[in-house]
Amino acid sequence: MARRQRGPSRSNDKPVGYGVPTLLAIGLHVLVVVLSLVTLPQRQPVDAESTSIVQATLISTETTTDQAQRAEEARARAAARQAEEEARQEEEARQAEAEEQARAEAERQAAEERAREAEQQQAAREEEARRLQEARQEAEAEAQRRAEEAERQSRLREEQEAERQRQQEAAEEAERQRQQEAQQRAEEEARRQREAEEQRQREAEEQRQREAEEQRRREEEAQRQREAEEQRQREEEAQRQREAEEQRQREEEAQRQREAEEQRRREEEAQRQREAEEQRRREEEAQRQREAEEQRRREEEARRAAEAASQGLDRAIEGESDAVANARQAQEAANSFINLVRRAVEQAWVIPPGASGGLAATVQVQLGPSGELFGATITQSSGDGSFDRSALQAVEAAAPFGELRQLPPAAQRDFRQFNLRFTPGDVR
Amino acid sequence: MNDTMSIPHLIMSASTVVQLVMLILVLGSILSWVVIFQRTFVMRRARTAHQTFEERFWSGVDLNELYRETPSEQETQGAEHVFRAGFREFNRLMAKTKSADAILDGVQRSMRVAWSREEERLTLHLVFLATVASASPYIGLFGTVWGIMGSFQALSMAQQATLATVAPWIAEALIATAMGLFAAIPAVIFYNRLSSESDRLLGKYEDFAEEFHSILHRNLQGRSEAGAA
Repeated sequence: MARRQRGPSRSNDKPVGYGVPTLLAIGLHVLVVVLSLVTLPQRQPVDAESTSIVQATLISTETTTDQAQRAEEARARAAARQAEEEARQEEEARQAEAEEQARAEAERQAAEERAREAEQQQAAREEEARRLQEARQEAEAEAQRRAEEAERQSRLREEQEAERQRQQEAAEEAERQRQQEAQQRAEEEARRQREAEEQRQREAEEQRQREAEEQRRREEEAQRQREAEEQRQREEEAQRQREAEEQRQREEEAQRQREAEEQRRREEEAQRQREAEEQRRREEEAQRQREAEEQRRREEEARRAAEAASQGLDRAIEGESDAVANARQAQEAANSFINLVRRAVEQAWVIPPGASGGLAATVQVQLGPSGELFGATITQSSGDGSFDRSALQAVEAAAPFGELRQLPPAAQRDFRQFNLRFTPGDVR
Repeated sequence: MNDTMSIPHLIMSASTVVQLVMLILVLGSILSWVVIFQRTFVMRRARTAHQTFEERFWSGVDLNELYRETPSEQETQGAEHVFRAGFREFNRLMAKTKSADAILDGVQRSMRVAWSREEERLTLHLVFLATVASASPYIGLFGTVWGIMGSFQALSMAQQATLATVAPWIAEALIATAMGLFAAIPAVIFYNRLSSESDRLLGKYEDFAEEFHSILHRNLQGRSEAGAA
């Protein structure tokens, strides 16, 4: 018996190790973790059921036909947008073509405009030219008259000179009689030289006078011309003509007269500036006209798109059943959004403790383009102020409905405003 | 209850301090369970060993034979250890002295030493269990407080203080407390159970030591009377 009992006592003598307890402890913890992971998903559907007690439903106020019209409007809008896009694409294509021919076109346009301008101004210019020609003829006549006068004067002066020479010759003869011939000759020569000099001086004087006269005349003429130009408001052509005249006059006249030159230069400069200004103005006008044309073209395209849209609307009104089907489709597409909104509002809704099951409030919700809340108003009160407030607070708490942006653009506008009906159901 | 509120997700998204606290608590829980299992096995084995030894001791077997059954180099446990220590000392002193009091004093001393060794062996690591039981709720509470501090800091930056913004933080913070309690509750229960078990075993050892002491005393008394006569 003692022998038999020694066996187990021997095994008991071996000290208890830590391997098995460690394994057991770790296994226990793993079991706990696994159980917590397994039981959690089971709890989730229960929670979902508990939240679905709240009944916040989307009530659309529009009738079916109304919706159809709305859908058709949306379709028409889409068509318009498409047409617009097409037009834009065409325009882009045209622009692409135009990119190659852009300068040519611009030049052509500019040329057309210039031609139109020229046509408009042609008559005036012709009148100007006529008037100018008349003035020129007058001026020429005057110039001829003056030239004749000057000739007459010069002839007279020559005669006087000849007389004077003759007198001088007589005096010389008298002197020659008194003095030696060589001296006389020298003196004569000297005198002749002096005379020549004097003559030259006189001639120069005459010339100066003539030039001064010419200058005066020129200035008068220029002033007259300028006045005429100002009256006509067509400076450019006149300026060019005046320049031509001045050029002619310059060729005719002496090169001195710094004042005249300076004046002319100044005038030229002013003219150039005016010309440049004119050029710029013309270019600006051309640009404006081009832009206006572009604008017109765009407007025309928009009108065409609008016409297409209105045609689409007509077609929509004709095919009512088709529209109804489309409306139903849109409704289905938007159902996900409705569900999202409803769930968000349900989660955010804190039902006041005193609310009974029979209460019902309708809240009209207005959303911004990106889903933000613009306004929430009670359209149908439940009669319980705290209940209404809780409904409004629920909408405000759930407010940014960012899912609106994920909807198709046509549906987005329909859901910018919708109604939510709050009924507590069998809560409590 | 969505995916973001599941416990693993909450643990993963917790702040570093809270995660550290959770790690400490998990380690404490695992180690305390190791101690619990190991001590349970030790106690059970000691109990059965004590039972078999007592049966054998009181079966009327000769003490010298009982002593010689197990080789002296082998470690013995429990009451057997106490018996062997006392009997060895008794045999050694019997050869050297005739004084019964001196022999009984020496035997008692050696048995007390053996008993205290047994006490140390039985209550080994139970202090760790006590430490886990008392400290882990505080550690978990620290993690919770830290997490709620973080949640309120985050709340101060939020525009709208809704329940949805605070809830994950608080849930994540409360996980630390839950883990602290998860570690502490078994530790408390098993500490009490194991310490009472060891106390009972030690009491039995003490009783056995007293009984053995009385047997030796009786033996010595008879021998001294025989020597005197």
